[in-house]
Amino acid sequence: MTVINKTRSVAINAPKMCQPIGAIWATLGVHGSVPLVHGSQGCATYPRNLLGRHFREPVEVAITSLHEKATIFGGASNLNLALTNIIQRQQPELITVITTCLSETTGDDIHGIVKAFRAENPELAARSKIVTINTPSYVGTHVLGYDNAIKAMASQLATKTKPNNKINIIPGMVNPGDVLELKHMLELMDVEAIYLTDISKTLNAPLRLPKTHFPSGGTTVNQIEDSANSLGTIAVCKHEGQAAANVLQEKHAVPACITELPFGMEATEEFLINVTKLTGKKVPERLLDERDLLVDAMVDSSQITFGTKVAVFGDPDIAFGLARFTYELGMQPIHVMTTFESSTFASDMKALATDYGTDEAKQNIIVGGDLYELHLKIKENPVDLIIGDYKGKYIAKEEDIPLVRVGFPQADRFGYQRKAMLGFRGSIQLLDTLVNTVMESKE
Amino acid sequence: MPLILPECDKVVPERQKHVYLKDIRDPFMIPVCNIATIPGDMTERGCTYAGCRGVVGGPVKDVIQLQHGPIGCAYYPWDARPHVASGTNFHLANVFSTDLREPNIVFGGEKKLYDSIIESAKAFPEAQGVFVYATCVAGLIGDDMEAVAKRASKAIGKPVVAFACPGFRGVSQSLGHHVGNETLFKQVVGTEEPTQKTPYDINLVGEYNIRGDDWLILPLLEAMGLHVVCTFTGDCSIHDIAKMHTAKLNVVRCARSAMYIAEMMKEKYGTPNMEVDLYGIQQTADDLRQIAKFFGLEAKTEEVIAKEIAEIKEEMDYYKEKFKGKTVMIYQGGPRSWHWPSFMEELGMEIKVVATTFGHEGDYEKIVKRVKPGTLIIDNPNAPEFEEMMLKYKPDLFIAGVKEKYLSYKYGVPFLNGHTYESKGGYMAFKGALGFARDIYQALYSPAWRFIRNTEEAQ
Repeated sequence: MTVINKTRSVAINAPKMCQPIGAIWATLGVHGSVPLVHGSQGCATYPRNLLGRHFREPVEVAITSLHEKATIFGGASNLNLALTNIIQRQQPELITVITTCLSETTGDDIHGIVKAFRAENPELAARSKIVTINTPSYVGTHVLGYDNAIKAMASQLATKTKPNNKINIIPGMVNPGDVLELKHMLELMDVEAIYLTDISKTLNAPLRLPKTHFPSGGTTVNQIEDSANSLGTIAVCKHEGQAAANVLQEKHAVPACITELPFGMEATEEFLINVTKLTGKKVPERLLDERDLLVDAMVDSSQITFGTKVAVFGDPDIAFGLARFTYELGMQPIHVMTTFESSTFASDMKALATDYGTDEAKQNIIVGGDLYELHLKIKENPVDLIIGDYKGKYIAKEEDIPLVRVGFPQADRFGYQRKAMLGFRGSIQLLDTLVNTVMESKE
Repeated sequence: MPLILPECDKVVPERQKHVYLKDIRDPFMIPVCNIATIPGDMTERGCTYAGCRGVVGGPVKDVIQLQHGPIGCAYYPWDARPHVASGTNFHLANVFSTDLREPNIVFGGEKKLYDSIIESAKAFPEAQGVFVYATCVAGLIGDDMEAVAKRASKAIGKPVVAFACPGFRGVSQSLGHHVGNETLFKQVVGTEEPTQKTPYDINLVGEYNIRGDDWLILPLLEAMGLHVVCTFTGDCSIHDIAKMHTAKLNVVRCARSAMYIAEMMKEKYGTPNMEVDLYGIQQTADDLRQIAKFFGLEAKTEEVIAKEIAEIKEEMDYYKEKFKGKTVMIYQGGPRSWHWPSFMEELGMEIKVVATTFGHEGDYEKIVKRVKPGTLIIDNPNAPEFEEMMLKYKPDLFIAGVKEKYLSYKYGVPFLNGHTYESKGGYMAFKGALGFARDIYQALYSPAWRFIRNTEEAQ
C-alpha cells in the first residue's frame, strides 16, 4: 500500500468545499432554523446554489453582506442588524451564526457580538435561540464545518435535566434517505432517538399546498437541549460528529460512541451492536431478515463483483465505508482517495487491507488529494469502476470507465438524495447499482 | 404612491424605495438600485468574485482558471454555469486553486500562488494562459498578485492575468463584471494582430454561450456577411480577446456586464458600439437590421430573417395560442430582465413582476420603458418578497435561477431557469426563441401540476 499525501501547491479539481457549507447543512436539519453566514454575499449564494442543485429543495441562507467598510471597522453592526431583521421578520426557532474566511481573518468575535446583542435586545433574544459557529474556510473542509456546527449546538444548547431514555444519533453529511434508514432500523429496535440533526424531511419535503413558512420536520431546539439527557451518542460518521459526541460526554456524561459509516455488512452490524450496548435492546428478527437478504444479494452477485477493480473517492467517512463494502464484495479498491486531511484515514485503510489480505504494493491511498492526482493514478493502473460524487464524471468520460454516483454532491442526476446507501437495505440498493453497472459495462 | 412596501418588509422599511409599481402618473420613475444590501434581508445577490470568475473570465475556454484563496470559492463555480465551448470544455472540467490554509493567511500566499501557476502550466501545457482570481482572503492578506503574475508569466512564456476581485468589494457581483472587463482590456486586448482583416469584422460583446446561445446567433451574423473576431467571452479563446481591437463594431448583448469594455474600446480605438437584445423574434429581427444598416448589408439580412422566421413560425404560433392570458414573473441578474418583457408579450403573456439582482439605473430605465403600468419592479429582491408575490399575483410562470427554482415549485408555480436554461439548447435569436417557447410550454402544461393537493381547500 502506498500512502500519498499532497505533493503540489496547487489543488487541481479538488472535490472539497469550505467549512460554512457543512455548517449550513447541519443547521438545515433543525426545525424552523435560519443559517446566517457572516461574510460576503457569495458565501451564502454559492452554497445555496450547490445545495439546491443537490437536494432539489429550496435552501434559504441569510448573509450579513460584509463589504469594504466591514473589513476595516469590523462586521458587528452588520451582524446585529441581520439578527434583528431575521428575528423580526421570520421568527426562527434557531439562528446559527456561521463565520467565513473573511470574518475570521478580520477577526470578528462573533461570540462577544452575539452576547452583547442578547444583553441589549432581551425581547428579540427571547424569541430565537442563537448558536455561534466558527468555521474558517482556510481550515479543513465542509466535513469539519459540519463537525464544528453540531459541536457548537451541543455545547451551547444541550442542558442536563432528567434522563430521557433516548440515544443521540449524529448522522453526518448523508442523504435524507439515509437518515430515514437510520430511523427505520431504530424503530425496529424499539429505540427512541434524537437526531443531531435531521434533514430527512427539511431537505426532502413533500410538495403540497399551502406551503408552510419553514419546512416541516427537522430536529427541534428542545430536542437538541434534551440531548444532554440521553443514554449515549452515536456519531455515525466519525469525522462528522465526533466533536459533538465528545462534548456531550465530557460536559454531560453522555457516553460517546464514534463509529464507521454503516455501509455494507460489518459496519451495519457494528452500528446495531452499538445501539444494543447503549440501550440494552435486542436486534429483532426483522432486522436479521434484512441482514440475511443482504447476504443473499452478495452471494447471488459474488461472481460478478469478485475481482472488480475500483477507484473510490469522497469525504473520509464515505470513502472508507465504500472501500470497506467493496472489500466485502470481493472487489479490489485499487485507489482510495479522500480530500480531507484525516489523521486516521491511512491507518484505518491499512488495517482494512491487512484484514482482507490484499496485495498491498498495488494499492494507492491518497489523503488530502484531488481528482487530478486520482486521474493520474487511474491512468497508471486502470480500474473497472469509479465510485464517487458527480465530479468523477470527467475522469469516467475520458477513461471510458463507468461511474457509480455516491457522496456529496450529485448535481447532474435525479433521486440520489432520496436513496439510502447505508444499513442493510441501503447496502442492497448500492450493491444492485454496482453489480448492474459492472454488467452493463461488459455487455 | 408608486413606491410600495411589501407586507413582509414591514420591519425593513428601507425596502420601500426598491419596489416600484409602474404608475401612469409617474411613468419614468425607477426604484433605488445598485446600493448595499440590508444585512439579513435574505438577498439573492452574489459577490464580486462570482461576477468576475463566474461570468466574465470563466467562459474563456483555453486558460487555466486559478482561484487564489481557500478552496470553497474554487469549488462552487466549477461547472456551475453551462458556458459551453466548441472543441474543448477544459474550462468547465477543470478548476485550479491555491487552496490557502491558515499559515498562508498569517505569512502570505504569494509563494504558493507563484508555485501554483508554474505547476498548473506544467500539468496542462496546452493551456494558452492563466487567469488568477482574488478572493476575500487574498484581498485581505495583501498579496501582490499582479507582481506574482508578471514573474510567473515570464517563467511560463504565456500571459498570466490577475483579477482584483475579492468578494467583499462593491455591493453585488456587478463590480466583478467591471473588474473583469477592465483587466482583460488593459492586459489582453490589442496584444495580437489577426492574420486576416475584413471590413465586416465585429465583436459580439457580453454574450456567454449559455448552452450554446452563441451557436444560434453566430451563423446568422455570418450569413449576413459579417465576420466575428471575438465573442466576449462565450466559447472564447484568450487569443480572440487579444485581437478584438481590430473589429469595426462592438455589438453588445449583456450591456450590464460588458458595456465597460465596449466603452473602453471606443475611447482607445474609436470602435463604435451598438446595444442589442437578441431575444425574441421581433427584437432579434430589429437588432439584425440595425447591424445590417451599419454595414450596408440590408438585402442579405432580410433574406436571413425571412428564412429563419419561416422555419419557426408554425410551431411558434401553436405555443402562442397556448400562452394566451398567462401571467409571468421575471427575475434575472440584469439585462435579461429588460430583454424579455417585450419577448413575453410577443408570446402573448402578461408580465406581473420584473426584478433584477444587480441592475443599475440604465437597466431599470429600460425595464420601466418596456413594461405596462401596473407592473411591479423590484430591485435586489429577497426570498420573503418572492413568496409574497407568488401568493399575491399567483403567476402562471416564474422565470429566475436555480436558487428560486425549488421555492417556486413549493408554491405550485411552474418555473423556468432563465440563468442556465437547463434545456437542450440556447434561447437566443429565432431558433432559441422557439426553444424558449417550447420550454415554457413544457413548464406550464406538465401533467404533474394537476396532482398537487391543497390541504386547506380539502377541509
